[in-house]
This record gives sequence, C-alpha cells and structure tokens, in this order.
Amino acid sequence: MSLSYNSMTATDLMTSKKPDSALRLRVLSKIGEQKPYNCYQCIRCTSGCPSMKMLELKPHQIVALTRAGFIDELINSGIVWTCATCLKCKERCPQAVAPVDLIIALRNLAVEKEVKVPESFLQSLSMILECGHISRPQPTITRKLEKIDREKLGLPKFREPDERFKAAFMKALEKTSSKESAP
Amino acid sequence: MKVAVYWGCVIPTVQYAYEMSVREVMPRLGVELVDLENASCCGSPVQSINMHAAVYLAARNIAIAEKMGFTDLLAVCNGCHLSLFEASHFLDQDKKLQEEINILLKDEELHYSGSIKIWHTIDFLHDVVGEATVKKAVTHPLNGLKLVVHYGCHILRPSSVGTVDNPENPQKLDRLIEWLGAKSIPYSEKLDCCGAMLMLSHPDAAFTFAGLKLKAVQDLGADALVDSCPSCQNMFDLRQKSAAATTGAKLNLPIVYYTQLLGLAMGIPQEKLGLNLNRSPVDELLQKVVAHS
Repeated sequence: MSLSYNSMTATDLMTSKKPDSALRLRVLSKIGEQKPYNCYQCIRCTSGCPSMKMLELKPHQIVALTRAGFIDELINSGIVWTCATCLKCKERCPQAVAPVDLIIALRNLAVEKEVKVPESFLQSLSMILECGHISRPQPTITRKLEKIDREKLGLPKFREPDERFKAAFMKALEKTSSKESAP
Repeated sequence: MKVAVYWGCVIPTVQYAYEMSVREVMPRLGVELVDLENASCCGSPVQSINMHAAVYLAARNIAIAEKMGFTDLLAVCNGCHLSLFEASHFLDQDKKLQEEINILLKDEELHYSGSIKIWHTIDFLHDVVGEATVKKAVTHPLNGLKLVVHYGCHILRPSSVGTVDNPENPQKLDRLIEWLGAKSIPYSEKLDCCGAMLMLSHPDAAFTFAGLKLKAVQDLGADALVDSCPSCQNMFDLRQKSAAATTGAKLNLPIVYYTQLLGLAMGIPQEKLGLNLNRSPVDELLQKVVAHS
C-alpha cells in the first residue's frame, strides 16, 4: 500500500517552476514566527532523521525549499508524508527551526489545496466526525484465541461524545480554512 | 489523590490491556481515577489535516477536566499527552488563539483557562506517586529480570514545551523498572522511533522502524521490552510478526506495558492486567516472574 504520487522528487519539480512567495507566506503564517530563516543548513536534522534512512526524507531540504518558495513542488512530491513525527529534528536544531512543524504546515496546505493526501488520514477524520474518536471498540482475541471485548474484560462502556460535539468540531474545521485562505 | 484520566482513542478501542492495568494499579497506589465525561479524540490524528482543529480538540478535553473541577489530568497515551501538552502551551502563550478556541468551546459550555496540570503514566508514577509508595506496594519483586525500556517519542520531545523526562537521556522509566527489583539494560537504540505514525502513509517503512529496533533488543538478550504507549505497543506487540518480516530475523520478544509489570510485582492476577491479550510471546516471561518472586 504505497502512495501513488508521481515519481518526481521535489527538486526535480523545481526545475520547471518559479518560486511562489504568496504560498511561502501562507506556510510561514501557519508556524507563527519565521524561524526557517534562522537555518544555516548544518544538516543536523537530516543526519538524525529515521525517515532519511528509510524514505529519503531530508528535513534540511524541506526548510531550504520552503524558504526559496517552492511550496507547490514540495506538497506535490508527497515527501511531506514520509515524516514519522519522531520530533528529533525539532529537539536537536541549534537554531530552533523545527522542520517537523514546517512539514505539518505543508501537510495542512496540501489538504487545503486538495493535493492528494494519504487516505488513512482522511479516514481518521471522518471517524472522528462520526463517533468522536478514530475508531470504535474492536473485538479482539486472547493468545488462546478466545474472542473477547470490553464488556467481557470488565471494562466500563465506551462512550461517544454527544451530538453537540459534531457541530462544534465542524465549526473548528471550517474556521481554519476560511481564516487561512487568504495568502 | 483524585485525578481525571483521559484514555484517548487507541487504548479504549484496541489496547485494552493498558487500560485494564492502569485501572488495577492506580487505586492500590492511592490514586482515584475519574474518567473524563464526553471525551473525544485528542487532536493528534488531525494535526496533519488542520492544526487549528487539532488544538481545538485538545483544548476541548482539557476544558472538560476543568469543568469537572480537576487540577490534574492523566493522559496515559503518549500521542494524547503530547497533543494536550503542546496545545496548552500554544494556548497559554497566545491569548488570541485562546480566545478563538474558547468561542468554539462555548457551544458545548466549555472553557479553557489553563489551570490543569497534564501528566503521563511515567512521570505521574515517578514524580507524584513516588519511589516510597511504589516500592511499598511491591510484594512480588521481579528480581533477576533483565528488561529494556522504550519511552516513545512523544513523551520526550520537544523539550521546548516541557516533557516527561530528559529528551536525550531519559531515566524515569529505567528507575521505575528498578523499583520493582528488575534491571534495566542500557542500549544504543533507546531513543529510536517505533514507526507507528508512518502506518497511515508508508506501512512498509513503519514495520522496518519497529523490526530493526526489536531485533536490536532481542540480540541484547533482554527478557522483555517495556513500554507505555498504545501506538508503540501496536507496532512492537500486535504487529511484531509483520515487523519481523522486514528484518529477515525471527522475532520472539515479549512486549509488556510498564503498568502490567507493576501489577505483577504488586501481586495482581495476570488476567486482570490483560496479560492474556499481549500477542508477543509473554508466557515465558510470566513463568520467569513466577519463578523469581
């Protein structure tokens, strides 16, 4: 079940495009202060990134490309979905840049621009809208293969939030897109 | 003492053993747990989609604890802990954001004021319950067991918002293990990520994260890996076979929650701690526990 993005990398896509400063501002507005400009490309983030080893994620490159304004290229390449959010890059950056925060901001932008987002993320969202949680209690089995559930285990009944939650959560989702739609 | 407890999504819908063992051990340590009423997702799974809505979800659950009159909230899942902890940091720093979120919360007669202290199982047991109470509760010490601890990323980083333990050299879970009479073995993969968050987009890579860590721990000759996060447990325990397939090695590593081990050391029957639900081969470990105690 791998992603069906095209095989072009963010840097491949750059060659045919111009920087987009409006989109850059929109990404930067999502992370509060303009910390990416403090980055001096020491590559400490990338050297400790577990997704670099497995999926060729280079957090320092995300920072550099955002700074340069290649935002569409970043979100179209799908690279932002290779981050495991281990948060080591944020912890270790000597300049407090937090590449992972940029990655999350770029994911939010990908959702707003309706660039292909991995389906599981959207499934979690629709479950939260449906029952307030990312899932309902699943039946399970013991190591001896006996079927068992919360009730048989003596656990209290699982409760979903009441109806008012859905409306409030929908509002929270809408508010953001309208607030951040203007660059 | 009385604390509000927030279970999140993964624990009450899949990882029942964690919920069972926390519910068993805490009252015996003098901690009365009260479930949050009307709780919802913590916001963590929504961060990638809409950060503002994620902060709203986190604030909502904290506001429920405030409304119920609590000062302390125990968020036992690592992901939930970070989501609530980070959101409260954002809200306390940014009064405009707090105002916006409070407008949304008003529809459910909720209000975030920032009066709640948020704990995770590990720092709550270590800092609040404390060494004397834990040691006093141990009736069946786990002498002779060699264990490896896995903290999970989201209770250690980022230290900029404050964390459960030192982000680069955590020791609290190691100490908690030693208070039970067992030994915690140092190892170089201690801070390595389980890969759980990649299951949504790159499951093969996620399994490789888990498999490589498990293989390293198994090669150390540890009796078990001890964790305290339902997502890490999903990777290491529930999906150990899939993780093994990525490394080419046969994995047979028992994985247990710290609260399950604590319960065993307190003499609580195995089934009450959900020890029949772990998918990894814990039977051999349980025999050792019986033999040692």
